[in-house]
Amino acid sequence: MRSVSRTRRSLQWVGNTLLALMLVWTLVPFYWMIATSLKKDREIYGFEATLIPHQPTLANYARLFAKTPFILYLRNSTIIAVGTTIASLVFGTLGAYALARLRFPGRKVIARGLVFTYLVPPALLFIPLFAVMSTLRLVDTHQGLILTYLSFSVPFCTWLLMGYFRSVPLELEEAALVDGCTRLGSLVRVILPMSLPALAVVAFFAFTQSWNEFLYANVFVNSVEVRTVTTGLTLFIVEDVFFWGPMMAASFLSALPPLVIYLIFQRWVVKGLTLGAVKG
Amino acid sequence: MRMTRRHVLKQAGLAAAVTTTSPWWLVRTSHAQRAKKLVFWHVPNFTPLADDLQKQQVYEFAKQAGLKDSDVEYDVVANEQAQAKLAAAIEAGNPPDVMRLYESNVQFYAAGGHLLDVHDLVEKMRKEPKGIFESAMTSVVYKGRAMGVPLAVNPWPVHARLDLLDQAKVEYPKTWDEFVETSKKIQSPPRLFAFGMCLGLVEDTTDNVMNLLWCYGGKMVEADNKTVVMSSPENVAGVKVIEAMFKTHKIIPPGAISWDNSGNNKAYQSRQAAFVMNPSSIYAYLDGNDKDLQKATGLFPVPAGPRGTVNQIDTWAYGAFKKTPYPDLAKGLLDYFMQPANYDKIIQSTGGRWVPVYKRLFDSPFWREKPAFKHFIKMAETGVPVSYAGSPTPAAGEVLNTHLVPKMIQRVLVENWEPARALDECHKRIVEIYARYAKG
Repeated sequence: MRSVSRTRRSLQWVGNTLLALMLVWTLVPFYWMIATSLKKDREIYGFEATLIPHQPTLANYARLFAKTPFILYLRNSTIIAVGTTIASLVFGTLGAYALARLRFPGRKVIARGLVFTYLVPPALLFIPLFAVMSTLRLVDTHQGLILTYLSFSVPFCTWLLMGYFRSVPLELEEAALVDGCTRLGSLVRVILPMSLPALAVVAFFAFTQSWNEFLYANVFVNSVEVRTVTTGLTLFIVEDVFFWGPMMAASFLSALPPLVIYLIFQRWVVKGLTLGAVKG
Repeated sequence: MRMTRRHVLKQAGLAAAVTTTSPWWLVRTSHAQRAKKLVFWHVPNFTPLADDLQKQQVYEFAKQAGLKDSDVEYDVVANEQAQAKLAAAIEAGNPPDVMRLYESNVQFYAAGGHLLDVHDLVEKMRKEPKGIFESAMTSVVYKGRAMGVPLAVNPWPVHARLDLLDQAKVEYPKTWDEFVETSKKIQSPPRLFAFGMCLGLVEDTTDNVMNLLWCYGGKMVEADNKTVVMSSPENVAGVKVIEAMFKTHKIIPPGAISWDNSGNNKAYQSRQAAFVMNPSSIYAYLDGNDKDLQKATGLFPVPAGPRGTVNQIDTWAYGAFKKTPYPDLAKGLLDYFMQPANYDKIIQSTGGRWVPVYKRLFDSPFWREKPAFKHFIKMAETGVPVSYAGSPTPAAGEVLNTHLVPKMIQRVLVENWEPARALDECHKRIVEIYARYAKG
């Protein structure tokens, strides 16, 4: 009995150590980013790397807000990420419901096609998509970027939601239909309330992916008025000189929105992810 | 409806036809549907003033040409992403009308048939009093025609810490032998190494290494742009000097072998290197960020080897793209930029980062009165591109981008190969590249 308890304690100790290591692994870059954003240039370029800023300064943040259109970048990223999230939820939900519940020819092919579409790397797609956007006159617009981001967010969201919808007992929906609900009514009144964790995961995924996306934003957007945070960061590199202070300040601030969203929806997201493990 | 085999084949054929032709159609249509009459991609400078002036000039020109502000698209494209973005835009048939291009890019895009012929504009520039630095022409002339408008002739001086030289009571070294001796006197490793030579697998390493090899009589290719001479005894001698600096005299920081292009900048800006070979981007950075270090910085020609002093220059140019529906406007904008009065404003606002292509602009107090710029005119006059003795052809561009010279020097410094063997390997690879381009 004592031996079992000792083994359990040892395993717990190993587990905790591993968790602590992973925590350090995850948090150190974040800490380094914040510390660098609070240092003066002289300290950033100093011979010794300092863990704690010697003379903390907010000058990099001041420069960010006073001399660059960073707020505009933040606004653009927000518009695009929120727009993509809402559209992904709407299209993903409708698509997933159709694939999970309706019977029509080609259903399986479409379902598999979703996975394949998601797997095509953006590096292959950005030139054809750029041509499409040019034709539609959507280059350099928020709408164009939202439409582009749907190309990777909708397939994933549909696929994920499909698994959840299948797990909702059919009888519940049939009962709603017998009571006079339409298909859309049963989706909104029965299935969606039961799939809130999945919707939280999908929303979080769509938001984070579109917030962090770089390649499409870089190619499809030219003007400052539509530029997102990720592409704005590259303007802190001029030729072979890196302006680390403002770049780190901008990186820190741009990491906050996904973090806040995650903290708000944390409970649902964790639940949604674990449910997905057995229902997907 | 029952699906027959014929029906399926018909549908599949239609789908294949649409799939294969739609990219072509989309590209064609996207090009035809462009809303703006003048599209300029601006790559940012060190100084916001230069950026503001450039933007102002674009809109001034547009106004003169009878365009409304809404007819102009002025886009800021980050330097790091500019080439990828341009490649995508060209592929999609939607490049800007005018953009700044770096060194071998003019040759590359000219060879691809993407650039407008701007020979007439360059000829006009050459007819200005005192003319332009002819060293700039190597980069912009393709098959006898100027395909880019030379914008700046940027020397690669040695940035040197004058305060350290003063402390050690020594002068800036005139030869590489003196350079080694001076370096030993002024350095105090590990906090301060004398020579921040770029040795990582990056473009700056090719620049730094080749510049030293030229002083020993070496070169990559002959002026015919065909005969590769990388394994010459002169190059072997030069590589041995670098090897001795790194291994025997230890005046180069060991970490330099893993530097990126900004490694030498960072080493100098953090006061961890006393000498670096770099364009004056470091000097321009110090102007806005560390005046004390700027005051203690001198810009000098590269020390001489047995064959004297050879300095590198890189030429930036404006390119106008053939796809533009308004070629006259594109060329008109270039002409406006390069009118000496407009041009001089931009050049001076860059604080020395851009060195003027017009010789007579060097008569201004801006260039005459600052000791740091004392040697620039000679460097601009006699400087050579990294592909010396050849031109910055697409083949030379590939040699640069595939880091063959950095790999060669790392064979010697890291893997302890004999210089002759490493150069032989490098020579063979360069021969392959030049032969491939010669075939077309």
